[in-house]
Amino acid sequence: MRALLVALTVSSSFALAQNCPTRATWPTTEWPQNLATGKDAQIKALEDFAFTIIGKDSERLGYRTEGLVIIKNGAIVYERYARGFDETKRHLSWSVAKSISSALVGVAVKQGVLNLDDGVCQLLPDFEGTPQCAITVKDAITFGTALGWQEEYEDQSYQVSSVISMLFGSGHKDQLRHILTHKLVAEPGKRWSYSTGDAELASALAKTALSKGHGKDAFWKLLFDPIGMQRATFEEDARGTPLGGSMVFATPRDFAKFGYLFLNDGCWNGERILPEGWVAASTTPSDVFVATAPEDEKTPSGYSWWLNRPVPSQNKPAPWPDVPEDTYAALGHWGQRIIVVPSEDVIVVRVGDDRDGSIGVNELTRLSLAVTR
Amino acid sequence: MKNVLSLVAFALLASCADENGTPRTYDNNDLELAVGNSARMGCSCMFVMEMDEAYCRAWVKASPDVAKVSFDVANKRVQSSAFISWAATARFVDEKKGCILE
Repeated sequence: MRALLVALTVSSSFALAQNCPTRATWPTTEWPQNLATGKDAQIKALEDFAFTIIGKDSERLGYRTEGLVIIKNGAIVYERYARGFDETKRHLSWSVAKSISSALVGVAVKQGVLNLDDGVCQLLPDFEGTPQCAITVKDAITFGTALGWQEEYEDQSYQVSSVISMLFGSGHKDQLRHILTHKLVAEPGKRWSYSTGDAELASALAKTALSKGHGKDAFWKLLFDPIGMQRATFEEDARGTPLGGSMVFATPRDFAKFGYLFLNDGCWNGERILPEGWVAASTTPSDVFVATAPEDEKTPSGYSWWLNRPVPSQNKPAPWPDVPEDTYAALGHWGQRIIVVPSEDVIVVRVGDDRDGSIGVNELTRLSLAVTR
Repeated sequence: MKNVLSLVAFALLASCADENGTPRTYDNNDLELAVGNSARMGCSCMFVMEMDEAYCRAWVKASPDVAKVSFDVANKRVQSSAFISWAATARFVDEKKGCILE
């Protein structure tokens, strides 16, 4: 008994020393369940909104939700799957991967092997002597590299899409070279432009920095395994560059663990995985967004997270008016979402296959919160 | 209407054009991209997401719908081809690294 008390004291002291929040339980192995009761009307409203396939499945119309998980106070309060998915199946993240890549940069900073002001050529000497050496790690996680990237998808001409060319075309075998051979169109850090190339560059920098001391599986050793993302897959190109702008796969429950890491200030069970202050910086509009984002980009970003924050200098109100202002989200193509609401201790994970316009964050969050209250 | 949409698309692209104001174009053609897309995404769908073949065939369908996709479950490979000249293969590596487009 005395040994147990000593162990608990040491454990608490360690958590305090790391300035980490404490929780009664951590879902490293399993999420506890505390399913919402007496919320039939709220659940019906949520499901009427989120599970709305219209017409034939082959027509790809409506919100085609494949998994929806809501966490409140560290437990699952709602969970539903559709279209052949269940809690064991991994789902493609698309651009949710960008928030994961920026967190991996945070892991590398915490490990002392990367600084935000480092230039990319300090880690990628193959590009030494090019103008792209002026790009910093921070530029890569804030969409601030100023590379002349054309972020287009399948609804535009394939020939002008930097992304499609990188993943499936002439750039696919050496994607890092594809990214860094784009010309600078401004001074790095002086032009915000949403870019899958920036995020993939960030993941390449994190892998290069971390693998020296922790091997090629450093992402799992230092992030995915400690938080119990047991089935995370992070795809690479043939040269080993992680495809950190789009190609991460995990179960919705595991994506929720990533959200829970952020909800707990980058700590997990007393261990600090992200540097102190990293989550706050990740969820504050970046300087490059505030100074240079185009007028039509209504949602501010931090370290590759999307934020429900106003940007007064650009006369932009908070983009999701019906949910708390501290809400932030990782957002991906076809409606992938990890939404974190710190003031309500809530995480919403939604995976889907929306080819007909991605599901709205404001409405999804509003209806999900109603189930939790 | 299609012309109007094309003009709108061009106007949008112009906003991310290079310093000369011309959108960069890449050395790809639609068939190369179609087979690359269906091989890579088909492999990830079948061997990472572990969905069934019917789901994966529907999931990778893109325009132009010209790719013929074959799933080699035993060897965890997906091949895609279009007409005579265009082909791509993706293979499953492992649980951590998923699929690679060769």
